[in-house]
Amino acid sequence: MRRTRRTFLGAAVIALSLVLSACQSGGDDNAGDDSGKKESKGTITVGVSAAFAENQIVAEMYAQVLEHHGYTVKKQLSIDSREISQPSLEKGEIDVKPEYLGSLLTFVGKDSGATASSDADKNAEAIDKILEAKGLKLLDHSEANDTNAIVVTRKTADAKKLAKVSDLTSIAGQLTFGGPPECPSRPFCIPGLKEKYGIEFKSFKPLDVGGPLTVAALEGDEVDVALLFSTSSVISKKGFVVLEDDKALQTAENIAPVCNPKKVDEEAQQLLNDVSEKLTTSNITALNAEVEIDKKDPADVAKAFLEKEGLLD
Amino acid sequence: MELLSQVFDWFLAPENLNGPSGVVARLVEHMQISALAVCLGALVGLPLGLVIGHTRKGEFVVASVANLGRAIPSFAILAIALPFTIRAGLGLGFWPTVLALWLLAIPPILTNTYVGVQVIDPDTIEAAKGMGMSEGQILRKIEVPLAAPLIVVGFRTAAVQVVATATLAALVAWGGLGRFIIDGFAIRDSVQITAGALLVAALAVSTELLFGSIQKIVTPKMLSAPVQPGQGAAT
Repeated sequence: MRRTRRTFLGAAVIALSLVLSACQSGGDDNAGDDSGKKESKGTITVGVSAAFAENQIVAEMYAQVLEHHGYTVKKQLSIDSREISQPSLEKGEIDVKPEYLGSLLTFVGKDSGATASSDADKNAEAIDKILEAKGLKLLDHSEANDTNAIVVTRKTADAKKLAKVSDLTSIAGQLTFGGPPECPSRPFCIPGLKEKYGIEFKSFKPLDVGGPLTVAALEGDEVDVALLFSTSSVISKKGFVVLEDDKALQTAENIAPVCNPKKVDEEAQQLLNDVSEKLTTSNITALNAEVEIDKKDPADVAKAFLEKEGLLD
Repeated sequence: MELLSQVFDWFLAPENLNGPSGVVARLVEHMQISALAVCLGALVGLPLGLVIGHTRKGEFVVASVANLGRAIPSFAILAIALPFTIRAGLGLGFWPTVLALWLLAIPPILTNTYVGVQVIDPDTIEAAKGMGMSEGQILRKIEVPLAAPLIVVGFRTAAVQVVATATLAALVAWGGLGRFIIDGFAIRDSVQITAGALLVAALAVSTELLFGSIQKIVTPKMLSAPVQPGQGAAT
């Protein structure tokens, strides 16, 4: 659920990705011609779970790896939210998209009451069961885990000797916490911190969803502790310290491809698994920085990564 | 219709009304920040408007500059101001919002004030001069009272805009009635969103009505009296 909210970043992102996908659909035809030289394989439509930088980068990786190996690829990288992308996958409008284990399980497990945990394998197993009935398949999940991170500034971490979230328990009464406005009613946020860690902050400031306001507030000492995303490029850029979630409050949000096996054959599935194998929290964070901070094109960033990892050989 | 009854129930629940994040507290915050912004706007708009109206000089330049305040979206001002106020140690939400609302409040007050003074019949001013009034006396005894109804219209426009826009404060972590709308969006609580929107609308309408009655009070009798045929008041 929280994933979809990043897309509220605005129409600009959507508009941009519309333009991008429009440009790319022009290129697809050529790609189709190229693949005609080799053995012609099927057409696969790559989507996103929601249109934000990280998801688009990974979707580009899927698309380029498949295209390189002779598949005809179409891209739908401007889908707004999981509320749209998941039905699209079920109806066959898209054939594969990068997903996040915890968020996907929470979404598809709504009816069965399945809940996401901090264990990636357990989440994946639970998703498998639910998706099988729908004719969909979750492929291998990567190490890259984009989950909620409890973050402090380097100064605060040093002054108060903080390394783990549980280090906050005794001093939380003197600290101000900042996070998304929904924080007071979300299990991963204030209620969970209280229940699992016994943390009760002096006060809470409603900011944005891991966005610029939260960063500004943390940087300007308006809040002492803040909630960001673990793969957010600003964490390393600003020298923030992520406190270790030592009591496993946050759900495992490892990035994994979810696909329709009728369209994505065994060979293609293996290609996507190869991508997952190379992704880690730290390398996807660096790629996010290239798009979010250096304003590079997700397609170029994905291509450079795939080449470096030898996936386009 | 179901939504409306849920909203009605929302307003009846004591936990929504009381406490530091209840309706009463948020309403007070909203009125405080709005009143401050309008007062600050008056501090600039009123004297400037009177001077321009009285001297009939500089109206183009000042009006153009002031109207820039209307052209730049308040949200943009908020976003631009935020990093500076944080750096200056002025905190997150309050001062950026005050700045944005202040810039919003100036143009209507300024414009209405100088137009109000300017449209006074030059003969009236001449007559006052002929009676030996000083410039200051003309301003105080002739121009301000005659311009008062239009000046109040300026305040009314400014106040209504400010009250409606003060909702933005919630976007930068301050309080006010916008809190209900922003927080409601975050947890997809359409009842709370609707309740917040109704509160803002109600406050804006009340502001409009309040200034409407002030306007009636300050309008000089001779201006508000209907023109009788044969009196020749309107030539």
